[in-house]
Amino acid sequence: MKKHWWKLLSILLLLYTLVMGFLGPIPGLNILEQSIRNLYFHVPMWFSMMFLMLMSMIYSIRYLHRQKVEDDVKAHSYAIVGFVFGLLGIITGSIWARVTWGAWWVFQEVKLNGAAAALLVYAAYFILRGSFEDEEKRARYGAVYSIFAFVMYMVLINVIPRITNSSLHPGNGGNPGFNSYDLDSDLRMVFYPAVIGWVLLSVWMTTLLVRIKQVFRKKHQLDLE
Amino acid sequence: MVQHIYQLVRKEVQLEWRQKTALGTIFIYVLGTTFLVYLIFQGNITIPTWIALFWIIALFTTVNAASKSFIKDANEQFYYLRSMASPVEIILSKIIYNALLITVLALVIYGVMVLFFNENIADKKLFLLTIVLGSIGFSNLFTLLSAITARTQNFALLAILGFPIILPLLLLIVKMSGLSDFAIQEKDIYLHLGAIALLDVITLLLAVVLFPFIWQD
Repeated sequence: MKKHWWKLLSILLLLYTLVMGFLGPIPGLNILEQSIRNLYFHVPMWFSMMFLMLMSMIYSIRYLHRQKVEDDVKAHSYAIVGFVFGLLGIITGSIWARVTWGAWWVFQEVKLNGAAAALLVYAAYFILRGSFEDEEKRARYGAVYSIFAFVMYMVLINVIPRITNSSLHPGNGGNPGFNSYDLDSDLRMVFYPAVIGWVLLSVWMTTLLVRIKQVFRKKHQLDLE
Repeated sequence: MVQHIYQLVRKEVQLEWRQKTALGTIFIYVLGTTFLVYLIFQGNITIPTWIALFWIIALFTTVNAASKSFIKDANEQFYYLRSMASPVEIILSKIIYNALLITVLALVIYGVMVLFFNENIADKKLFLLTIVLGSIGFSNLFTLLSAITARTQNFALLAILGFPIILPLLLLIVKMSGLSDFAIQEKDIYLHLGAIALLDVITLLLAVVLFPFIWQD
């Protein structure tokens, strides 16, 4: 129990998010209306993805540092789950965009295009890994690319939108941020727990994936040392 | 170190000059693509389209030119080079050589585009600066990526690894090219030039730090 308290915390926080997210009080703004509840689902997906990709890069660096297979397995797993959360972020975002901006995809929105490009970057990472027969090479080249990818991913979604300054997202391109609507901080009461809950869940999913891979390796005796 | 890099760049230039077919291929590729685009667009385009086409052709040419950076060194030469120079010297020499090559190719594309389409950027000096900075960034990225992909048999890999990763740089370059034609505020120009230069530095650092891990076995 001592080691697994955070999994319980994740369940509790997400239960709270679901209940309060769908039933809790909202500011009731024009256009946004009920869709503002998507804040508790769409935004945490990106936080989770960023966190998982960061972890993937850290394990990639660790792999290059000490060349242990387990680090590569972790780096790969974090990237896979991060990719899934990125897809979910795109889907929830696209639905939200349809409701508020009137289209599934909006060109003027650099963050959207940046997010799609980020997914392409990581899709290429999986293809790259698949192109190597040799395990050690796959891990090494994958790690090099993954570090490169993460830096570019950060530039893509954090720097470019600020420079080009053409975004429809709250808090960008002259749009007011959500914090300026949120005077009674009803949203914040659910949003922060939701972020923590989703990030914990994503890490939990990754640990499960890592364990599946480790069992697979053990079963097929892939670790020779 | 500087001496070594100079020698290595010289080696690259000499090798390229000796195999004129390879050099010819890439130049004919540039001419052919630009001519094709000219015919498809029926010789009539606006400046934003002009800029977009210019960078698309430049990008595809870069992928073609950079893809063979490490093919020659894959076999016997690899061990010889490894014993002669450090990985940092190798990658720096390759990046410098590719940057030179890409700049020259971009200038050729520029000349051909101006010749065919009869359109030109208003501020030519600024656009040339953009070309040079952009070529350096292209070279940093694609030299490292071609080192990664040289060992695979997957030839489309360089493009699919490179295109999404080059995107931040490409967006800034296209924006900057637009600004060198028409800019409302001077501070926009400096902001974008600064951002491109910063990306060049970041990608160069990453390439230099990561290359030693590829340059093994």
